[in-house]
Amino acid sequence: MDLISSIVSLTFIAQVIRLMTPFYLGASAANFSERGGVINISIEGFMNLSAFSFAVFSIATGSILLGFIMAIAINLLFSLLFAYFTVKLKLDQIVTGVGFNLLSAGITKFLMVYIFKSSSNTERFEGLPDLNFFESIPILGSIFSDYITIFTFALIFISGFVLFKTRFGLRLRSAGENPWAAESLGVNVRKYKVYGILISGFLSALAGMWLASNQNSYSDGMIAGRGYIALAAMIIGKWKPVNIFFACLMFSAFEALEISLQVSGTDIPAQLIQMLPYLITVLVLIGFIGKTRPPAADGVPY
Amino acid sequence: MNTVQFKDISISFGSCSVLENVSLNIKSNSVHCILGENGAGKSSLMKVLFGMYQPDSGEFFINGKIVHFSSPLDSINMKIGMVHQHFMLISDFTVLENVILGNEITDGLKINFSGIRSILSDIINKYNLGLDLDSKISDLSISSQQKVEILKLLFRDSEILIFDEPTAVLSPVEVKEFFKIIEEFKRNKKTIILITHKLNEVKLIADRVTVLRKGRVVYEEDITDCNIDLEKLALAIVGESRVSIAVDKSSENLTNEIVVRLNNIDLYKNSVKILDKMNLSLRKGEVLGICGVEGNGQNEIAEIITGLEKNFEGEYKNKNVNVSMVPDDRISKGMISQFNVGENIYLKNGKKFIASSELLDDFSDKTITEYDVRLTNNKASLGSLSGGNQQKVIIAREISAGNEVLIFSHPTRGVDINATAFIHSKIIEERNKNRAVLLISSDLDELISLSDRLCVLFKGKIIRTFESDELSSYKSDNKVSLTPDIEIKKEKDNQLFELLGKLMIGMAD
Repeated sequence: MDLISSIVSLTFIAQVIRLMTPFYLGASAANFSERGGVINISIEGFMNLSAFSFAVFSIATGSILLGFIMAIAINLLFSLLFAYFTVKLKLDQIVTGVGFNLLSAGITKFLMVYIFKSSSNTERFEGLPDLNFFESIPILGSIFSDYITIFTFALIFISGFVLFKTRFGLRLRSAGENPWAAESLGVNVRKYKVYGILISGFLSALAGMWLASNQNSYSDGMIAGRGYIALAAMIIGKWKPVNIFFACLMFSAFEALEISLQVSGTDIPAQLIQMLPYLITVLVLIGFIGKTRPPAADGVPY
Repeated sequence: MNTVQFKDISISFGSCSVLENVSLNIKSNSVHCILGENGAGKSSLMKVLFGMYQPDSGEFFINGKIVHFSSPLDSINMKIGMVHQHFMLISDFTVLENVILGNEITDGLKINFSGIRSILSDIINKYNLGLDLDSKISDLSISSQQKVEILKLLFRDSEILIFDEPTAVLSPVEVKEFFKIIEEFKRNKKTIILITHKLNEVKLIADRVTVLRKGRVVYEEDITDCNIDLEKLALAIVGESRVSIAVDKSSENLTNEIVVRLNNIDLYKNSVKILDKMNLSLRKGEVLGICGVEGNGQNEIAEIITGLEKNFEGEYKNKNVNVSMVPDDRISKGMISQFNVGENIYLKNGKKFIASSELLDDFSDKTITEYDVRLTNNKASLGSLSGGNQQKVIIAREISAGNEVLIFSHPTRGVDINATAFIHSKIIEERNKNRAVLLISSDLDELISLSDRLCVLFKGKIIRTFESDELSSYKSDNKVSLTPDIEIKKEKDNQLFELLGKLMIGMAD
């Protein structure tokens, strides 16, 4: 009874929407890269790196703003390196992605021990400041309590606009669909691919920082597969900003459910619920949403 | 005045020389046809003009000024536009998106869609292109896709328009439509360069013709009032190696036994009727021609016979025969471009589990000698061969499988005269071996000269069947001339040609 009433409560819904933030940022990150024709499976690694550097620089300098700037800068450098491998050297994008995930996990583990003399946790820090603008409004106040979540909602419309209504979006998509045709019309395909990857780095940096902020520290393995779930959300959402939003809501609902279960102390093992997002992904892909079609030249080195 | 002037252009890839000291002048506001066999250097010369290739030596001038192009962008900026043989379109984009890509008119951050729409609608009306700006490319027919390519050039105000084999994929009716557009270009003071294989088109539309052979200019002529010596032109194209094999259709050992029969077959796709009470029987020892404008159900007939299409109503009978097929689109359906000749053949005909290099070499050597495939080295990937040579490999593979039923879909599309003659002789050879041959084509000359029986397909229905005696009554003699473009058709042949042309578009019964 407790469980059911906690699920239908408004706090639960607010929780679902807040937890959607890292999923949607990660999925959009992957989407901007794939729309340009580069498969980026290292969203997990990108998120991990930014969560770590945000925590480290915030703690070291005492300034959240500096931590924020450094985390974004480091992620942009990391994505530039990713672009160098995949666009300039035309390496296999999946192999490069796996490499970057391992690299990110390795670097952070190493530096954790080196800087904090602990392999699991950093010390606590404040995290991003709360947004008090909506505080007086009951439900909205608890949903939009931070800047990144607000931005995420705006991103649904921004990415739709950028991808489908602007010159940049048209050219980015042409690079992912048929780079040869785009080049024959004078579009600098590689430039747009690099832009796509940089946007990917920026958005996953926001996702990582939100997660670190949420628990006021960085801990090893804290991304916990959210980068991969974001990829699944992008596919279920058929590479379309609004559809991706609903796919992300589904995944965040499962995460909120898992938390509710743990709090209510029922007999259903939490691991079972943790398993559900993956199971649902498979089921959804098998038959519920019809055919999904990635950009035609997605993953093809050009 | 000359719009384009090539001066001593040479280009070579490795040891293979593609263009040798080519000098060529193209007059402004004219239609200039460039002819030549596959691999003669026509496309390469145009790629130089479009900035895709940089010549090793020589120079060229646009409107009297020397230019150096390092990319297509330089060429586009000089108001040159090119429609490639394989269209450069993004199939998931709409017509509008394809046309504006690279040349978007923006209003602040946003693309100015409404302004662009009105510009494009004006062009579409002016040239009578009949395109819907919001349809997706993947939903359009080949000829509409070509019109999208044309719209791309017009949107960029191109003054010099290059077309690489524009009519190879079009039916006779569509070709006429295309020529009307070309004439409209001329009225609008544009310069048109056409690369083609088809001599009768040159006669209809060209102001001047240049023939390339093995990377050299071998013949040039101005054409006035359609006065042109086609015989001479044909000789210039094929050179000393001209072939004119006339294969006798033998009637020995032909059983004429029915092997495949379609009985009252209806077929729907996305609730559109594709085949309508289709009745068709294919016999051993005959070439059954299917004549019609593309998209009237030809592909579906082939798919039913090959077993790819099963969702039909009606009865399909097949005497337990194996079927071979030469598909219409060789690059996407017929071969694996990255594989070499031996590998492509092993893929279908290899019976052994281990693909040893001896086995593959054996396959490729046999094919290369027997079918006269020309390649730089025997291990070259099929994608690097010219269209005619690719087609020979595919035909070799399908024929050597030794199946009783053979389907040829547009077997000589985009293939030069010599290769066409060779392919025709192979088709007749199979027929003479008592095999059943289904020939799908939109080339009427090809259909008339090869078919024993001929069906005209219109909107999924066979509206007329010419049995063999009727067909031969139209033919002046039974010798098959294998150079149909060159042959000046006899009067009776012409009657049949015209009748078929009308039937295809539903204008006669």
